[in-house]
Amino acid sequence: MKLGYLVRRIVFLFFVIWTAATVLFFIPRMSRVNPIRERFNELARGTGYSPKDLEQIIASYELKFGLNKPLGEQYLDYLSSVLRGDLGVSLMRYPRTVAELIGQALPWTVALLGFTTVLTFLLGTLLGALAGWPKSPSWVKSTVTPLMVLAAIPAYTLGLLLIYFIAFRARLLPMAGAYTTGLFKAPEFSIPFILDLAKHAILPAFSLILASLGFWALGMRGMGVTVQGEDYVNFAEHKGLKQKRIFYAYYVRNAILPQVTSLALAFGAIVSAGILVENLYGFPGIGSLLNAAILANDYFVIYGIGFITIFAVGVSMLVVDLLYPLLDPRIRYDRKS
Amino acid sequence: MKAKLTRRQMIQLSAMAGTGAVLAACGAPAAPTAAPAAEATTAPAAEPTAVPEATTAPAAEPTAAPTEAPAAAGAEVPRNRSLVLNHGGAGGQYTNQNITNPYGTGYTHQEGNALMWEPLWYYSVFADKWVPWMSIDPEPQYNAAYTELTIKLRPGMEWSDGKPITSKDVKYTLDTQKSNEKLLYHAQSKEFIKDVTAPDDMTVVVTFNSPNPRFGFEVLSYKFDTGLEIVPEHIFSQQADIVAWQGGDDIVHSGMFSTTQTAQQKIYDIREDWWGFKTDFQKKPDIQRVIMVPLSDMTTAAQRVVNNECDACLDLRPALIRSAVQQNPKITTHTGKDEPLGYIDWWPNSLWMNTQLEPYSSPDVRWAINYSIDRDTLDSVVFLGAKIASIFPYPEYPALRKYLDEARPLGDELGVRTFDLAKNEEKMTGAGFTKDADGFWVKDGNRINATINGFESIHADIVPVLVEMLRKGGFEAAINFGNDAYQNMADGKPGLYMFGHGASVVDPYATMELYDSQFSAPNGTTAGGNHFSRYKNPDFDKIVAEMRATPPGDPKLVDQFMKAIEIYWKDMIDVPIIQWLHRIPYNQTYWTNWPTADNPYLNGAYWHNTFPLLVLGLKAAEA
Repeated sequence: MKLGYLVRRIVFLFFVIWTAATVLFFIPRMSRVNPIRERFNELARGTGYSPKDLEQIIASYELKFGLNKPLGEQYLDYLSSVLRGDLGVSLMRYPRTVAELIGQALPWTVALLGFTTVLTFLLGTLLGALAGWPKSPSWVKSTVTPLMVLAAIPAYTLGLLLIYFIAFRARLLPMAGAYTTGLFKAPEFSIPFILDLAKHAILPAFSLILASLGFWALGMRGMGVTVQGEDYVNFAEHKGLKQKRIFYAYYVRNAILPQVTSLALAFGAIVSAGILVENLYGFPGIGSLLNAAILANDYFVIYGIGFITIFAVGVSMLVVDLLYPLLDPRIRYDRKS
Repeated sequence: MKAKLTRRQMIQLSAMAGTGAVLAACGAPAAPTAAPAAEATTAPAAEPTAVPEATTAPAAEPTAAPTEAPAAAGAEVPRNRSLVLNHGGAGGQYTNQNITNPYGTGYTHQEGNALMWEPLWYYSVFADKWVPWMSIDPEPQYNAAYTELTIKLRPGMEWSDGKPITSKDVKYTLDTQKSNEKLLYHAQSKEFIKDVTAPDDMTVVVTFNSPNPRFGFEVLSYKFDTGLEIVPEHIFSQQADIVAWQGGDDIVHSGMFSTTQTAQQKIYDIREDWWGFKTDFQKKPDIQRVIMVPLSDMTTAAQRVVNNECDACLDLRPALIRSAVQQNPKITTHTGKDEPLGYIDWWPNSLWMNTQLEPYSSPDVRWAINYSIDRDTLDSVVFLGAKIASIFPYPEYPALRKYLDEARPLGDELGVRTFDLAKNEEKMTGAGFTKDADGFWVKDGNRINATINGFESIHADIVPVLVEMLRKGGFEAAINFGNDAYQNMADGKPGLYMFGHGASVVDPYATMELYDSQFSAPNGTTAGGNHFSRYKNPDFDKIVAEMRATPPGDPKLVDQFMKAIEIYWKDMIDVPIIQWLHRIPYNQTYWTNWPTADNPYLNGAYWHNTFPLLVLGLKAAEA
C-alpha cells in the first residue's frame, strides 16, 4: 500500500468529519426552540412553576453558554472546542459535561449493541451462506422465509411483544433497566452483578438480534447465489476440492466483502440503531441519551454524540478500506498492479 | 489428543452453552418482586393521618419489624423496607445524577432530592395546614404592617457534617437568592427583601421594601414544587460559581436521607444521625430506603407497578390508570378504585391566547370560543362522569373554596359554563365575522387560527375533544403537539395554548397576578412563564395591587377577588377548561396509608417537595 494513498484517505476522513460536523451544527439550529427556555418549560410543565423573571434568567444563561452570539461565531467556537476535544456542557443538565454524559452511556451501548451486532453478523452471515449453498439441507434453506418476516418487523415492535409475553405475562425476565435496582448500589465487577446484567440484557439483545438477523442472512444469501456460478467455484468443484474448502475459501470469502462493508457501517450506526430499543427497555445507553437530548434541543449533547458517531463511522470505513486487500486479493492499492 | 469437533458437535455444544448461559442468567438472584398473594384490597380502615408534627415522646419507639418480604440477595435493605418509585429521567436513564446542589441548573427535587433538603415550613394544601420544620414558629410571623418577618429556628438542628444549622445559614440563603440572577427566587428576593439580619444564632429578621404578607408562604415554605431550601453557608460560600457546582452524593445537607446516584437509579438511605431523630422531632419512618428508577415509557411504568416491581409511578393517563387498577387488586388511587382515579393538582388548564393579537384581542371572540366548549360533555367523555371541567383558573382546594363558592353565582349569571352555539354565532357576527362555505368563521377572507398548542404526553386525551368542539363552533382548530408548542406560547403566535396556571393554592392573589400588566410583554417579544395572555388593563391592575397588600384570610380579600374574577370572566382573559388531575397508582403490596380522599393528609405526588411528609406517613404492609 502506498503511503500517498493512506494520506489521501486520512485527509478525506477529516473532510468527511468536518462536513458532517458542520451539517450537524446547523440542523438543530433550524428549530425555533430555545433550549434554555425549554429547560424552564420542562420545569413549568413538570412542576407548574415558572420563575417571575424568567426572561432575565434565560438571558443570563444564554450569555453564559454563548448562545447570544451570532451563529457564525458560535460555529467557530464549536469547531474550536471540538478540535480541542472539549465537547462542552449539557444545556439541560448543567453543570454536567457532555463528555461525562457520553462516558456514562457509551459502555452500555457498546456492550449491548456491539455484542448483538457482532453476533448477528456472524450468525446471519453463516446462515445466509448456508441458505444460499446448494448442498445445504432443506431445513436450512427454509429459514429464509421466517428471516424475511423478521427482517420486516422493527426491533421496537419485537421488543414490545417480548416485554408483554416474556416479562409482563410470564415474568421470566425483567421488563426494563440494565440491572436490578436496589440490589446493587452501583455497577460492580462481580459474578452476581454480571449475571444480573445478562438477565436484563437478554430481551433487548433478542429484539435486536431477531430484527437484524434477516438483514445479514438475506444479504449474504444474495451474494452467495451470485458467486455460485463463478468460474473459480466451478473450477474448484471440478478439481475435486473438499466441499468445506470450496464453501469457505471460494464461496464465502468471495461473497462476504459487502457484508464486511455493512458491518463497518453497522458499527458506526450502533448509536442510532439502539435509540428505540434502549428507550423501550430503559437501557441507559447512548441511544436513549441522544433521544432525550433531541427532545430537549440540548445542542451540545447532540453535537457530542453526533460527532462521536461520525468519527466512529469514518474511522471504521477507513479501517475496512485498508483491510479490503487482505479479504480480497483482487483489491490492490498499488497503482502499478 | 484429538481436539477436532465436527460441525454438528460444534453446533450442539454451542446450543448447550447458550442454553446454560440463559438459564444461569434467569436463575440469578430473584428480582425483589415476589409479592404476597394478591388479594382484593379492602381499603384499609382509614384512620385519618395527621400531618407530622414534632413528637414529644422522650425517645422514638423502635418500629415493630413487620414480616420481611423476600429480600433480594445482596440487597442491604429488604424490599418491604424499600419504597421503589418509577420517576424521572429519560429513556430509562438519569442524566442529572449527582447534581444534588439545589442551585445547580440541572438540579431537580422531583427525583428524590427533596429528601435531602429542608425548608423552614411545609404546607399541606389538602390538610390546609402549616407544618413548622426548621422554624419553630407555627407559621410565618409578620409585624402588623407586614414589612418584617421574624423567624425563630428549631434548636438542635445539624448539617450532615455535624455542624450546627444557624441563622447565618438562613441569611446566606436569602442573600444569595437576592444577589444571584440565575436563581429561581431571585425576582421575589430582589423585589421584596430590603435586608436580612441574624441578631442571634436562632433568630432571623427579614425586612421588606413594601408590605408582603405572602413571602413566608410563597418563598419560605415547601408545597407542591415550590419553596426555598436552606443551604449550608460554610459549604456553599466556598463555591466559585454556585450554579456550576454539582454537589455530588456526599454534599453536606440537612435532610433525613443521604444518597447514592447512578444513571440507573437514585438511592436514598435513611440517616440514623439525622437531627430530627436525635432531637425527637420525628419518629423514624418504616421506610429505610427510597429507590428512584428512571422512566422508560409510561406503559412500562404502569406494568412495573402492576407487577409489584414499583410501588408508584408518575401520574398516568386515564386508559392506563384504569387498566392498572383493574389488573392488580392491590393498586388503588387517591379515590380508591373510583373515577376520577386521582386528585386535583394546582395546575388548572385553560385555553390561553395572545390578547394583543387579532382576532383574540376581541373579548367577543374569546367568549365565542368559550361558548363552543361543552364542559358537561368533557366530563362525561374524557372523565367518565367525574366533575373535572371547570370555569375557574383555580384548583378547588379547601383554603380556596370560600372564594370560589362566593364567585359561583356570578359565573352562572355571566353564563361562563354555558355551551351555546347560538350565542357563539351572536358574538362572532357582532365582531364582524361571517361563515364560509366550510362553516368556519372568516373576516377579510381569513379564517381564525385555532390550532391548540399542547403536549402529547399530558394532553392527548382532552385536546382532540376540544378541537372537535371548536370546529363545530366554526373555528378552524387543529392540534400542535410539536416541540415548538411551548415556544409558540412564549412567542405569542396565533392559536390557542393549552396550559396550566400553577399559582394560587391558599388565597386567590397569585393567579390574578398572572394577568397583571407588568407581565404583559409586547408582541414580538417573548412572554414566558404563565404570562401568555399578555393582558393589559389598568383597572384590573389596581385590584391586583390591593390584593397584593391584603394578607390571606383578611375578609377584604373576598371583595377584591370578586371584582377581579368579574373582570377575568367578563373579558374572558383565558378560557378555563379543566381542573388538573394527578392519577397516581398506589401499590399497597408493600406500603399502605397512602393519602386518599378519605385520609387527605397530603397530596400523593412523591415528586413534590412535600415528599418527606409522605415518607413519614406511609406504613409497611404486614406481609
